[in-house]
Formats: sequence, structure tokens, C-alpha cells
Amino acid sequence: MNKTFRLVFISLLAAQALLLYGIESLIPLPFIAPGAKLGLANLITVIALYTLPSKKDVLGVLFLRLLLSALFFGGLSAFIYSVAGAALSFLSMIAVKEFGRDKVSIIGVSAAGAVFHHIGQLLVASAIVENTALMLYLPLLSAAGIGTGIFIGIAANFAVRHLEKLPVFRNLSAQ
Amino acid sequence: MFKKWDFIIIIALLCLSFIPELIFGLSLDKSSTGNYASITLDGKPYKTIDLTNHRGEEQFPIETEHGYNIIAVRNSSIGIIEADCPDQLCIKAGFIEKPGELLVCLPHKLMIEIKTDASTAGLDVIPVH
Repeated sequence: MNKTFRLVFISLLAAQALLLYGIESLIPLPFIAPGAKLGLANLITVIALYTLPSKKDVLGVLFLRLLLSALFFGGLSAFIYSVAGAALSFLSMIAVKEFGRDKVSIIGVSAAGAVFHHIGQLLVASAIVENTALMLYLPLLSAAGIGTGIFIGIAANFAVRHLEKLPVFRNLSAQ
Repeated sequence: MFKKWDFIIIIALLCLSFIPELIFGLSLDKSSTGNYASITLDGKPYKTIDLTNHRGEEQFPIETEHGYNIIAVRNSSIGIIEADCPDQLCIKAGFIEKPGELLVCLPHKLMIEIKTDASTAGLDVIPVH
């Protein structure tokens, strides 16, 4: 993977994540709990985690998406929630992926990411209203997050399996 | 596609998500009757409303620099029926009446929490004193 390819690939992933984030806001969802959502943009983060050779590049994809989605859709307050959610989600996904190695699949990684995204958002929301009782929403949000996380994991599984057929990604594990 | 650890991780995550529930659950007595709604704005207490002895319907607006919410008290439950926030999540959450239940309007930093009055609840539990 040369430098130009890497940069283009990072930008492509960030653009796809941004688009998914935008599409997600157009899909009407039944009300489960405040903050519950599909998390389609996490699909790209998971794919990046499995295809990009360095963690720094994955962080780049994530940060670009956060920044651009704040500019295009959310605004500052949404950005603060997203950053907290994304940071915890990113760390938990790396932990699960590194700790589980070949015993854990993309599904477990993405479910952990979804749950920790909600934990991060709830922590920020608790700080804003200055009441920790907001954390009571966690079981509902976790259940919803695990549900969507499993589907995101399955989708990412298909995508990564096909990406691996490309010559560029063939020696991924060697890098 | 699924691997064994996926299930372990998912079960662990579910257990993890109940930790706050356990911590708060121990400090709440859900069977008690002296319930009141505590409304906070930006973390500061704004108003408390007695719910247990409330009958009929009553509405009042709360205006802040962020926007307005119209709160409705319907018998012993409380809810938000109108707000000018973009997501309208506080309205979709409906009416609440059990201790520990919450309504939040994050854009307006408004929160309604049902609490229970420790002094009236305690009377049934420790009659000896």
C-alpha cells in the first residue's frame, strides 16, 4: 500500500462514512430511547479497522467523519456527543480486536463499539444536565446498540471478505 | 461468521449495561407512594411538583434562553407536550410516573426526574421508631 493509495483510501472511507451518517438521519426510526440510532457510519470505522494497516489512519477516518458531519449536519453540540462516543467506541473496538485476536469476529468488535458509543454519549449528556441518573438509559441503549452492532458487523464482514480479494489488500496481515 | 467470543462479549456488554441500574436501583424504593417530580434546568433545581396527590390536568410553560417546553401534569404522571427543540425526543418519551424515571430535553438542558419522598416512604418501613 503506497502513500497515495493510503491517502485516497482514507478519504474515500471518510466520504462514505459521512454519506452514511447523512442517509441515516433520513431514515425514520421507532422511538426506543433518546440517542438510539442505527450507527451506519460505524460500518466504515469497522471496515477501516480491518483494512487499514495502522490505527492512526483509522483514527484519521473517524476524525474526518466527525468533523465533516458536524459541519454538514450536526453542529457543535452534536459534535461533542459524537466525539465522546466515537473515542470510547474506537478504544473499545481496538481493545476487543487486539485482545480477542482470531477468537473474535467483526461482529463482536462492532457490538462493543456500539455499546461504548452510547456510554460515551450518556457520560457527556450526564455532564451537561449534571445528573448521573441519565445512565439509567444504558440498558435500553445497549440492547439497541448490540442489535444494530450485530447487523453492522455482518455487513462489514461481507465487505471486508470481498475487499481482501483486491491485490492491494492481499498481504494485509503481513503489514 | 459468528465466533465463540462474540457471544461472550455480547453477554458481557449486556451485563455491563445494567451496572448503573443496579447502583441506582438500590437507592430507590419503587413501591413507595410519596412521589414528586423534580425539574432541573442546567443542573440547578427549578421546581418540584407533588405527583401523588395531584388530580386532573395542568399545563405550564418553561422558557429558557435555549427555547421553551410545555410541561403537562396529568394525575400522577408528568410529561412534555410541546417544545421547540429540533429532535422532539422529550415529547416522544411520553409521560412518566414511577420513581427513577426520567425525561430529558438535552438541547434545553432541562430534566424532569421522578423522586420519592424519603420521609413519607420511610414511615411504612420502620413503624417502630
